[in-house]
Amino acid sequence: MMRILHVFAVCVLLVAVAVAQQAPPPAQVSIQEVAQGLPADGSRWLTFGGNYENHRHSPLTQITPDNVSRLKQLWTFQTATLGNFETTSLLRDNVLYVTGPQNLAWAIDARTGRQIWRYRRELPSNLTACCGLVNRGFGVLGDKLFMTTLDAHLIALDIKTGAMVWDSTLADYKTGHASTIAPLVIKDKVIVGVAGGEYGVRAFIDAYDAATGKRAWRFYTIPGPGERGHDTWAGDSWKTGGASVWVTGAYDAEQNLLLYGIGNPGPDYHSDSRKGDNLYSNSLVALDADTGKLKWHYQFTPHDVHDWDATEVPILADLPIGGQTRKVVMFANRNGFYYTLDRTNGSLIVAKPFVVTTWAKEIGRDGRPVLLPGHVPDEKGEVTCPDLVGGTNFYPPSFDPATRTFFVQSRETCMTFIAFKPEYVPGERFTGGSGQRVPASQSPAWGAVRALDPTTGALKWEFKFLSPSTSGILTTASGLLFSGDADGNLIALDSRGGKLLWHYQMGATLHGTSPITYMVDGRQHLLVPSGTTLTAWVIE
Amino acid sequence: MTWRLLSTVVFAWTLSGPVLQAQTKNLLEGNPDAILAGMAGFRLRCADCHGTDGRGVRGPDITQVWSSGRSDEGLFRIIRSGIPGSEMPAFIAPRTSDREVWQMLAYLKTLATPASTDPPRGNAENGAKVFRALCYTCHKVNTTGGRLGPDLSRIGTARTRDVLVARIRRGAEDFRTGFEPVTITSADGKPIEGVKKNEDLFSVQIMDTRERIQGYEKDKVKAVENGKKSAMPVFGPDRLSDSDLDDLLRYLQTLRGFDPTVKQQ
Repeated sequence: MMRILHVFAVCVLLVAVAVAQQAPPPAQVSIQEVAQGLPADGSRWLTFGGNYENHRHSPLTQITPDNVSRLKQLWTFQTATLGNFETTSLLRDNVLYVTGPQNLAWAIDARTGRQIWRYRRELPSNLTACCGLVNRGFGVLGDKLFMTTLDAHLIALDIKTGAMVWDSTLADYKTGHASTIAPLVIKDKVIVGVAGGEYGVRAFIDAYDAATGKRAWRFYTIPGPGERGHDTWAGDSWKTGGASVWVTGAYDAEQNLLLYGIGNPGPDYHSDSRKGDNLYSNSLVALDADTGKLKWHYQFTPHDVHDWDATEVPILADLPIGGQTRKVVMFANRNGFYYTLDRTNGSLIVAKPFVVTTWAKEIGRDGRPVLLPGHVPDEKGEVTCPDLVGGTNFYPPSFDPATRTFFVQSRETCMTFIAFKPEYVPGERFTGGSGQRVPASQSPAWGAVRALDPTTGALKWEFKFLSPSTSGILTTASGLLFSGDADGNLIALDSRGGKLLWHYQMGATLHGTSPITYMVDGRQHLLVPSGTTLTAWVIE
Repeated sequence: MTWRLLSTVVFAWTLSGPVLQAQTKNLLEGNPDAILAGMAGFRLRCADCHGTDGRGVRGPDITQVWSSGRSDEGLFRIIRSGIPGSEMPAFIAPRTSDREVWQMLAYLKTLATPASTDPPRGNAENGAKVFRALCYTCHKVNTTGGRLGPDLSRIGTARTRDVLVARIRRGAEDFRTGFEPVTITSADGKPIEGVKKNEDLFSVQIMDTRERIQGYEKDKVKAVENGKKSAMPVFGPDRLSDSDLDDLLRYLQTLRGFDPTVKQQ
């Protein structure tokens, strides 16, 4: 009898667990859900980088190095419009929330790929937006999704219907402002920034009340008169200095600190137009999340003249360095150097090139690059490595906390940079130069996924590509790395050694973004944005 | 006046004022002052995307726009109205005047067709015969000829005489994309020679010497070897006299290409 009762009790427990698993989550997305990052059950992906630390590393283990070659397509979603995905989709309660090019967005059934709703915001006919009419993803809180727009607004959509709830203007798009960044939701605020560095804007990071859309604070990335750092801009150059913000930063909850990478100074290439260090261009800034006040900054490339925005994705972790645990931020920069900084104060711990760099000998103990001569562009042109696209770029890297490995898309490229004095006209491009590709016969361009030890910057392994890729990276706890090459191949590598495990020709690159992964109906899904398509994969 | 004609005129007027409908050719082409002014305008407005040499950075290579069939008038219109749904903006009046657009096109033309250092000479009629005898197997002009090498229907307007002479006399020192020589050794050891049309880490697509286009998976063939020398043979004076070379170049310079799509426009 006892045995029967025992079996009965186990059955009741199993049913209870099954019901609990099937029960839908609360209708409102809580800030605790957002802050939790990627849960072990794979039921959510609610922020750009998976968690506030931007690890882009999933705890899921159903897809493994042994079975990854059995991945099969479940469905494909097409945008049916011009332009490519650069988005990181969000997932909750078996529904995907996806932003696309041309101010489009969708809610999609994660089981079937079928559209639930579609949102479209009409583009102004005279829109000027560099560089691609794209968007990098939603933020979410409560019953609202938050999306930046190409005409420089932040909007909130009803998560159930896609109807607009509120609309806040960030800046005037006619002066070259735009916004493509995925919002980051912290407490009750939505954090965004503006693009437009190629149009002579003075950029900023903003926080908005998630409920009402009212602006809570603004941090100008170029200090105004009387503010510290203003004197790093000669004359009136601060008014048109760019320093845009178009890639989502990280959040250190313990310190209540936002960490955002800032874009290049404008005009991009013409040194004499803006003498000085040009703070806070090409910097990582640490802001109080409640007030937007600057706590510290680290400038990777003072007075940049090669368009090397520091708009790469910062990743946070606590690492054992020098016999103690350090709270660090990891940052692979467009200028070709990899950095590990102390995120409590911005001091430099590690700086090492991860690609060939010809402009700086090293990063000095004072944190400033030790410049090599002959790398200030002029009318004749000068050859510098890396090229303007950089040693890496906004393509999200990944971090595996178990192996303490930083994975980055790396580009081996050089370019002839040319500069000339520009004229500022509101709404027109203001770059003061350009670049010319170095012929492949003189300097072939190629790329690699590289695995770095963030405590030293040393290379653990690399997987080489024929040409430089622009894809982001996703890793999983099962030891997988997913990325793409420049020829449209979706690639799966062994994240512990870099061995090629599987590949599939998608027909377009995974430009500027990576796959994400989650669970639906007990199966681990891999969602791959590529060109104008989203494709879901499962193990058959 | 038909509705179609009327709407065309109204459209043209809307885009750029009365000058555009009257001007279909760039009257400033070759004008040194206009070219200099155009260079300044090009660098300010175009170079960031298209490169200071026009060969493309963020945007596409625009040095071959004429040789690929575009007209002065069509290019003027693109600059004026932009390309909807792309990053190509509209450069509208009065901020950018008609004259400035024509100046920029005059400058771009100098990037597209470097000035020849040699006056035209030779007999085009005989040049056509030389072409048929020596070039026809691999190169096509005006829809006939081989496909292994590049189509030469517009080469005479896209390259200077000096460049063409160097290519013919000394062979090609580099490879144009899509024409890189490659040899694939099949699983059974058979060599397949051709030119590479595309390649990634896992596969290569070629046109073989019989003009068969075919893809090969790298893990299913024995070897894929890139050639170090172009398939373009060297034609020294022993194979092609100076006189025949002049005739051949003259013939190529008379060609203006053949594109039914462009003609319909």
